[in-house]
Amino acid sequence: MCGGADMSFVNFAIREVQLKIVYYGPGLGGKTANLQYIHQAIAPAARGALTSVATSKDRTLFFDFMPLVANAIENFTTRFQMYTVPGQVMYNTTRRLVLRGADGVVFVADSQWSRMADNVESFANLEENLRLQGDSLDQIPYVLQYNKRDLPNIAPLNYMEFLLNNRGVRRPSFGGVAPQGAGVFETLNMIARLVLNRFVKTHARREAKESDLVLV
Amino acid sequence: MAFSLTEKDVLRLRRILLDLLDRSEADGCVVCDSGGYVLAQEGRGTSDPLLLSALGAGVFAASRELARILGEDEFSAVFHQGEKRSIFIRAVNREVLLVIIFSNTANVGLVRLYAGPASGEMRGLFDEVAAAGVGVEHPERTFVLTEGGDLFGAANPG
Repeated sequence: MCGGADMSFVNFAIREVQLKIVYYGPGLGGKTANLQYIHQAIAPAARGALTSVATSKDRTLFFDFMPLVANAIENFTTRFQMYTVPGQVMYNTTRRLVLRGADGVVFVADSQWSRMADNVESFANLEENLRLQGDSLDQIPYVLQYNKRDLPNIAPLNYMEFLLNNRGVRRPSFGGVAPQGAGVFETLNMIARLVLNRFVKTHARREAKESDLVLV
Repeated sequence: MAFSLTEKDVLRLRRILLDLLDRSEADGCVVCDSGGYVLAQEGRGTSDPLLLSALGAGVFAASRELARILGEDEFSAVFHQGEKRSIFIRAVNREVLLVIIFSNTANVGLVRLYAGPASGEMRGLFDEVAAAGVGVEHPERTFVLTEGGDLFGAANPG
């Protein structure tokens, strides 16, 4: 399977950049709720329709998809394609398909004590699926959202950090209550910035080449 | 893979797609990659090429898995027939898809017939694009990130 780092798409003719962000995490953790909140809160001009390929019981079956547009790069239209994956364990194949080409990942964890094992399993699953497509958490920008901070019986934030943000380099993390919007835009803005910074670095050439791509 | 298309690439792609639409009498077409990016579009087939690409890429990816289960390398094409309009998706290469929308007054045989050569031409183009790579000499000058503030926020905060 082709894959690996350096996805994204630039169309110099119409001056457009496309980037893909995937929301990942255990089932019913709040991935879809994040996109739903963004969809209803953001200005209509900044987004497209939110499309969900879901079961009759509103569980994500394939993915949710919503395009966002932002004035992120001067003289370019920047489109962020937002996806969620199905969180249920049995949908791993479709999760891999949706993860293809991701420029950044938001991992949405469920803060309830009863879901800790699911969080850990889902995070390990993310690592594995990235590895299978030639990528890794060391390379791809990602942020963590500890959702459902409004519920009782939740783990403290430092425990969530210990459990999920314990790799060599600590990644940005946010507490969240997705249906109410708490932490949603903070998470989105952070992953967008990380993805953009990596995009600029990715497009550096080592050797100077004569090319009509070069703009000064 | 990442893609960067120059103006020349886009013009070439446009020519291939317009020729395809003319010969096949299809309504419109979208070229997308396996991750759902819209690489090009022509015609009047859809008002939402982003969504079409996302769903088309998903459908084709799912069909690849079905093919694998059946012992096939992949299905080279997927066809969905509607009452009034249909859609034909063909792999250009492992990463790029051609999605053709046509009404049922057009002939699916013609669509299939001309999709082949169009895909072949595009394959050559994308091979060249891949070989050229995506880098620019001074990305910090080409891609200047806008300063300060959040990119996204609620339309009516508070």
